[in-house]
Amino acid sequence: MRRDLKNLKYVFGPRSVAVIGASEKPTKLGNVILKNFVDGKFAGKIYPVNPKHESLLGLKCYPSITKVPGKVDLAIFAVPAHAVPKIAAQCGRKGVRGAVVLSAGFGEVGNRKLEEELKKAVQKYNIAMIGPNCLGVMNPLKKVDSIFFPFYKFERPPPGDISFVTQSGGVGTCVADLASHYGIGISKFISYGNGASIDEADLIEYLSEDKETKQILLYIEGTRDGRKLMEAMMRANLKKPVIVLKAGRTEGASEAAKSHTGKLAGSYLAYQAAFRQSKVIEVEGLSELFHVVNAFSQPMPKGKRVAVLTNGGGLGVLTADSLEASGLELAKLSAKTKRAVVSTLPKGWTAGNPIDLIADATSEDYYKAVRALVDDEGVDSIIVIILFQAPALDSRVLNVLLGASDERRKPIFVVAVGGDYTEENRKVLDSHGIPTYDSPAYAASSLKRFTDYALSMRKTKKKG
Amino acid sequence: MPPMAFKIPEFSLLEKYGIGLIPYATAKTEDGAAKAAKRLGYPVALKVVSPQIVHKTDFGAVKIDIKDERRLRHAYEDIMENVRRRKVKGVLVQKMARKGVELIIGGKLDPQFGHMIVLGMGGVYVEVFRDVSARLCPIEKEDVHEMVMELRSHPLLTGVRGMKPISIAKLETLTAKVCRMMVKENLKELDLNPVVFDAKGYDIVDVRFSK
Repeated sequence: MRRDLKNLKYVFGPRSVAVIGASEKPTKLGNVILKNFVDGKFAGKIYPVNPKHESLLGLKCYPSITKVPGKVDLAIFAVPAHAVPKIAAQCGRKGVRGAVVLSAGFGEVGNRKLEEELKKAVQKYNIAMIGPNCLGVMNPLKKVDSIFFPFYKFERPPPGDISFVTQSGGVGTCVADLASHYGIGISKFISYGNGASIDEADLIEYLSEDKETKQILLYIEGTRDGRKLMEAMMRANLKKPVIVLKAGRTEGASEAAKSHTGKLAGSYLAYQAAFRQSKVIEVEGLSELFHVVNAFSQPMPKGKRVAVLTNGGGLGVLTADSLEASGLELAKLSAKTKRAVVSTLPKGWTAGNPIDLIADATSEDYYKAVRALVDDEGVDSIIVIILFQAPALDSRVLNVLLGASDERRKPIFVVAVGGDYTEENRKVLDSHGIPTYDSPAYAASSLKRFTDYALSMRKTKKKG
Repeated sequence: MPPMAFKIPEFSLLEKYGIGLIPYATAKTEDGAAKAAKRLGYPVALKVVSPQIVHKTDFGAVKIDIKDERRLRHAYEDIMENVRRRKVKGVLVQKMARKGVELIIGGKLDPQFGHMIVLGMGGVYVEVFRDVSARLCPIEKEDVHEMVMELRSHPLLTGVRGMKPISIAKLETLTAKVCRMMVKENLKELDLNPVVFDAKGYDIVDVRFSK
């Protein structure tokens, strides 16, 4: 791995951080970021840098990075663009390992010379640089946070095992904010902006080796080096799922093209080809992104056979329809499973798939059925439909699912459709890593994506 | 081989990469065309070759399914009448293509991703249905299967209602050769269109490219 990429570990887990351009004005980036570290209870040393101040937020402030007494692992830049390359070189001489450059005014406004100068400065000293023109990084576990949106407007997600690489700071923020809302944990969040020195492919490569990251999300608008991106995605995806949201999919092909192919093949077709060849999971929008991310937190299914458990017949049928349409199969239940199910039902009822526990099902009934399905060798995945509205059901059904999910033997998906009461219950499941869906179709399509990935990985691993 | 009055550079390039076109000959005269058609065997198609005419059909410069010499001579005169005042190199005589599924196999040099290959429903439907799938060169057999299945019209290729599936094995070798040619010749854009496929193989009817 490139030496500057190795230094990314100091960006995500620095022992000390300098905020260059720290400020006392609450509206300035340099103030918000300093507060992130102070109020966020960052455990390492914090050094505000600004020649105009003696102290900031109760911390001693230094006139320049060279005057900081101790070692600095990470420098965060919130100063005007023109000043950045010179300070970056000073950082290099001081032995700073990582830099996050929030400042805008580089390549994105045509100032390529300045960006090149910055790139040279950081590469000379193997500084791992994120940016410029970005929101930077967040690592909730290590309390590293260069996002200049204040806490009260954007509650930070809890620590977790999903890492998110985003070209757009705005989209990135919305996703992270929603993750926090759903209780989904984030390991590393990286808004890479212009990616002058470290681009999206480098970050994917780094995260593929990162033990704390179990899934890699990528939001991308465009790349400079498509082949490099494709190869990074391909390698990473063999180790952990890479989920991609590409913006600019409708951009038309060039009408000036001479051939039919030229007219048919817009730039998105090449991205799509790269995604498919590298087997990454492409999603079409933000809601699908969350549907899929939640699905991929489950243990991988071994096949396409799905059991559907429900206390409402209609939703069971809707789910069966969606499963068939998606290309998944309804599992044939074992005799043992059938006996377990029948024992919960009134006399004369039989067990099919979907398994209808009918509206008087209790948490105990769910327990018996879920247990049997987890043990049933003919079942690869389980979709549990819960009408939380039913009177016989209480919140213990959540424990039934959490208990089964903790065994991590096969994927368990939940479909629950309803208002506030249902939403509250869904949130509990979501925050414990059980994916929930408010529509059978979303559950089926997400399970299909997950099953396809799992089966293609099994195939690849057998081959290799 | 039937006589060649002149070469068609696009066709020669394909041949260099072992990509065979539907049997053809070129001629500069009516007699030459008749002789060529006899060698190829009727029915044939007759097309003008002119640097000034790209969309031959629009000029009435294409006659297909010509069944005998009398009709061929008549078609020749017709075409020459339709393209008079244009610079004409001669005519192309081609055997009629088999009946089957008309595909387009194309290539493009993408500024970010390099050479890619595109498969789609060809012939007159190309820009109507815009039903295409793509992969970056080089490709593997698995990619070809996936490209086929990604087409909305894939049942036409994999067999529907008594139609036999097209030869996927032949499609695999053809696309692999096309990828090699795209990359080696550094082509910007390429159209093999139409390529008519059936269960036994394919006929490449026309080719266009830009470097």
